[in-house]
Amino acid sequence: MMTASLNEYVIISSLLFVIGFFGVLLRRNTLVVFMCLELMLIASTLALVAFSRFNATMDGNIFVFFILTVAAAEVAVGLAIIVALFRKRQTVQIDQLDSLKN
Amino acid sequence: MDITVLQNFAANNLWGAIMPEIMLGVLALVLLVIELLFPKQQHQMVPAAALAGLLCVLGNVLATFHNPYVATETFNGLLRHTRDGQIMRIFFLLAAVMVCLLARVSLAKQAMPRVEFYHIVLVVTAGMMLLAQSNNLLLLFVTLETVTIGLYILVSYYRNNSLTLEAGLKYLVMGALSSSLLLFGIVLLYGVAGNAALPGHTAQAMHYGQLASFLAANPHNFLASIGIVLVLSGVAFKIGAFPFQIWVPDVYQGAPTPVTAFLAVSSKAVGFAVLLSLSLTVFASYGWLLMPVLTFFAGATLLFGNVAALTQHNVKRLIGLSGVSHAGFLLLGVAAASRAPMAVGSIYFYLFAYLLASFAVFGVMTHLAGANDTDQELDHYAGLAKANPFLALVLAVGLGSLAGIPPLVGFMGKLFIFISAFQAGLYGLIAVAVIGVVISIYYYFGWIKAAFFETWATSPEAPAKPARTPVDLVTGIALGALALSTVVLGFYQGPLGAWLTPR
Repeated sequence: MMTASLNEYVIISSLLFVIGFFGVLLRRNTLVVFMCLELMLIASTLALVAFSRFNATMDGNIFVFFILTVAAAEVAVGLAIIVALFRKRQTVQIDQLDSLKN
Repeated sequence: MDITVLQNFAANNLWGAIMPEIMLGVLALVLLVIELLFPKQQHQMVPAAALAGLLCVLGNVLATFHNPYVATETFNGLLRHTRDGQIMRIFFLLAAVMVCLLARVSLAKQAMPRVEFYHIVLVVTAGMMLLAQSNNLLLLFVTLETVTIGLYILVSYYRNNSLTLEAGLKYLVMGALSSSLLLFGIVLLYGVAGNAALPGHTAQAMHYGQLASFLAANPHNFLASIGIVLVLSGVAFKIGAFPFQIWVPDVYQGAPTPVTAFLAVSSKAVGFAVLLSLSLTVFASYGWLLMPVLTFFAGATLLFGNVAALTQHNVKRLIGLSGVSHAGFLLLGVAAASRAPMAVGSIYFYLFAYLLASFAVFGVMTHLAGANDTDQELDHYAGLAKANPFLALVLAVGLGSLAGIPPLVGFMGKLFIFISAFQAGLYGLIAVAVIGVVISIYYYFGWIKAAFFETWATSPEAPAKPARTPVDLVTGIALGALALSTVVLGFYQGPLGAWLTPR
């Protein structure tokens, strides 16, 4: 069986991270932006597990649980804000949410 | 698994060392119990309980300032208690007291639940106190997220105002983005420092001390440099440093005024506490990378904050962008800290001066805000000196201190930063900072002018001002104390300076 090397894991997680990063900056729908934020967290998680496996230390594996918990809390608060905003404005498109101006 | 290993770990969990944080957590839960047990008419005791509890914790920290835990690590290296950590604890508690006082005034104008606001403020404050003392990248991330997620809720607290919700969403997206950057940086550092092929590799790559010795053994590692830059970017988002300051004006305008104050003072200070502990200990051996990055942050932040604040008419946006320029001053101190030993003390002095002056200004803003908390224009300050001389005086002292007018404490803070930057030889940055001070005097005095001098704008068709809230006794005493200490400490900083500056 072929096993992936550490480099491959690091490259994949970096790619995921970059995709998420540019997704946050470029996508126009708030929900998609939110998914991209989650993608960035997942990229970090993948890299942590890979490093933890190849370095033979446990810290990374434990860190993953904390990240999952934090991501869940972030989603709970974030979706609440998005729903409340949608009720007020009837839109979640980023380019229409520009009423905060000098 | 050998049970004695677990026993050894447990023996290092010295809960007494985080007594103030535990007390704050318990206090936050007590507030929820009060809401549950007492009828609605008696809920005004919640802010009183929060304030009394905060003052008790503050007294406890002051009484045990020199406790045996200082300069030791507890919880197996998760926390490191230092004198600076104690100073930051007091800072965050003072800020939380002021936020609760302002929230009493501000929440009275809104039809919103009260208890949760104080609950979250207490939890976030406890998170900040732990964050300032964290000694491990894992704890850094977890406490930072505790603080940030609490602030997401607080920023969008007035949820019947669509501007506030928009600010909440912007803060959420930007905050989550910065946390992800920070997290990926931590992951890279962890992966590199644990790599068995490199000299000085360590099994505890999250621990600051272990990571510092690994980085000292590999001073030019490529992945580690990327990790460091990502971590610094994540922290730069929190303190609103250029080019990561884009969220500041919108979020500051949309957030409830007490939360704006919380963001401007506590959230920024915690960013600097983290930045100092990271740049002075963990990343110290990467000075070749840190110095250019910090110098760029400091110079660009100073210029941007001041220039962008010039054209603002909404006072919340104005104070937000002027806060960006204050972050630039503090970054100047951080850049000097590796070479000038007095810089760290200067940064703490500046932070306390900024706390006093900012809360004086935010206190006045809270009293002048109407039911729509996002609508606070410079024009609303017309005639304040005649209508309410006390608030006008507090405003003038606070703004003067923020601008750095000589007898006030803000001037001394800037002076200390300048002296340490001079010792470190950062002449170019000092020139930029002086230009920034000159620009800042212009917009701060525009604000003072609006409050003190009659202008042509008082024509009959001038837009209606929101009704001002009368100052109650407790808030009045607090605001008076802030203004008084701003003046007194400007002339005589003996005790505060002696307490903050020795290294």
